[in-house]
Amino acid sequence: MTDKMPRRKATEAVDAHVYCQAEIEVTHGFGLHARPSVTFTRLAKSFPCVIEIEVNDSHVWLNGKSIVKIMGARIRRGSILKIRARGLRAAEAIHALKALVERDFDEEKKHGRSV
Amino acid sequence: MKKRSMAEAFEITGVSASPGVAVGPVHLAADVTAEALVLGDTVAAEGDKLWQAVVTAHAELEALADRSDEESAGILDFQIEMLLDPALVEMAEDRIVAGDGAALAWFGALNDYIAGIEDAPDEQLRARAVDIVDIRNRVLSVLTGRPLEDFAPGSVFVGKDLEPSLFLQHDWTAGGGIVLFEGSVSSHVAMLARSRSVPMLVATGRFEVAAGARLLVDATGGRLVVAPEDQQIHEVRSRSAEARPIAPSRAGGVIETVDGIAIRLSAIVNDPSELKSIEPSSVAGIGLMRTEFLGNVFDQERHYDVYRQALDWAGDAPVIVRMLDLGGDKMELGVGAKESEAFLGRRGIRLLLALPEIARLQARALLRAAAHGNLGVLLPMITVPEELDAMRVIFEEESTALGRKGVQTRIPEIGMMVEVPAAALMLDRFSRSDFFSFGTNDLAQYLAAAARDDQRVAALYGAATPAVCRVIAQGVALAETMKKPIGICGEMASDARHIPALMTAGLRHFSVAPNRLADIRSTIGGMYSDGRAAAEMK
Repeated sequence: MTDKMPRRKATEAVDAHVYCQAEIEVTHGFGLHARPSVTFTRLAKSFPCVIEIEVNDSHVWLNGKSIVKIMGARIRRGSILKIRARGLRAAEAIHALKALVERDFDEEKKHGRSV
Repeated sequence: MKKRSMAEAFEITGVSASPGVAVGPVHLAADVTAEALVLGDTVAAEGDKLWQAVVTAHAELEALADRSDEESAGILDFQIEMLLDPALVEMAEDRIVAGDGAALAWFGALNDYIAGIEDAPDEQLRARAVDIVDIRNRVLSVLTGRPLEDFAPGSVFVGKDLEPSLFLQHDWTAGGGIVLFEGSVSSHVAMLARSRSVPMLVATGRFEVAAGARLLVDATGGRLVVAPEDQQIHEVRSRSAEARPIAPSRAGGVIETVDGIAIRLSAIVNDPSELKSIEPSSVAGIGLMRTEFLGNVFDQERHYDVYRQALDWAGDAPVIVRMLDLGGDKMELGVGAKESEAFLGRRGIRLLLALPEIARLQARALLRAAAHGNLGVLLPMITVPEELDAMRVIFEEESTALGRKGVQTRIPEIGMMVEVPAAALMLDRFSRSDFFSFGTNDLAQYLAAAARDDQRVAALYGAATPAVCRVIAQGVALAETMKKPIGICGEMASDARHIPALMTAGLRHFSVAPNRLADIRSTIGGMYSDGRAAAEMK
């Protein structure tokens, strides 16, 4: 059943392509554990900009390209994730990462089709 | 904690992480330590050693992933990604600067990080700690030159926990089992053990046993016996054989729950190209093959070819093809007219019966294909028995017509999707349906009166789950009295979170998306048939 819909719509600040930020709730069943964290960091690393994440308003910004940091942050289902990017293709990176979280880290792929 | 004299048999209880019975000599896991690693070189030299060891360990893991199946490679991917992250090495470098040698620095830094993960509030994350132990040991083994431990085929591994790469490197063809003092039913090794049918017990607590002692692992019964009598082994083995009446040779796609109940797992296929990524012996055939995405619905040969392809792939296993389910959110061809766009309008069987040329064309392709294998037909959106009867008449007429032309056909079993509440509550009226399959996406939106494609009511749609489960439980009971097979092919079954409730509702046949098979298989294998997990949050 679908509870993939992020309850909180992302708030984006699309000033310029040098800085961009989004906020989103993690709805994947296990949070951001082994496989989702691999998918997330691999996507983050495909962008040249600096990408950082903050969990549950902790005011601690972690390197979004580091799976070691992300696993250490113990992100679970229901965690509120802030993602920010600075530098080249920042807006594009935020858009892609936010979409990945919304798609539950592609764990379903095209099988989200209806039955 | 138990301690006895050697010869006497004694029993220890644990939690089943993978059912089955194993007998073999004990292999005791060695404790990994970083002792005798004091002699440090210069800071720069030790740093270099560490970087090189990480590069070597990474290459070893890549090589292991290359020769592993997809599920195992996915598990190793996580370790590879961790190793590629400079953050781990940087933590160790701080210790090298403080005077530690490379091995000691690595060991200490990783142990701190592992302790943080082991301390996490949720079981799923804690279960990943052993993956990091795996990484720690692999790099340490490169640094110290001491090989990673393997053990004799056929033996029973006994230790605190077991690292995934050790499991993957071990030869399990000679049997054997796993007994862990701690461990977790959610760990990667538990998943691997279930998919390879290696009996595994966790959470036994620490106990003393001599290396080489004979061990009987009755993982189905949640216990082990040290130094068992032959009589005990015989009893446990014959009991476990009785608990498996359906599949003496472990038929494909049959998973055993912890209490030994057989659950069938089938694949959902949208497109024939997906078949090559699924191992036929890993599933009980195709539980739902959609036909909306096959392209031109007027191309009978295309349909026939695709059905034949699926039957060839499945061998003797069933292939359940759902007839065109158009309308609703699936308007992929121009014939349906705008009026049927609504979920409550002319869709599914209603549209098929309104457009008999399309229905008859698909029926002909199905009738021809059915002559070549175990094909079943599923009718979408059935509301009243008359719709089922009308489609059956189409099949009979087309079969006769084809027969007259000398074309070989067979009338397949015809079953119905259970997705309209008015039908779901009245299954006993559908005695002419050969089988039933729940379509929970539509059932949920109709029960909640909340469209599944409208985000503004998504919460209501999600909140329908308990109502869906109650309807399923009633339907399962009705189907049982009718002696008709019943299963589920809705998205609910592809989400591990819903499996306990669906098992409680009595379902024993699940059709899930190919990329969810491994997860759902391990979820089911780790629970009792009434939906209880074998182990709660330990």
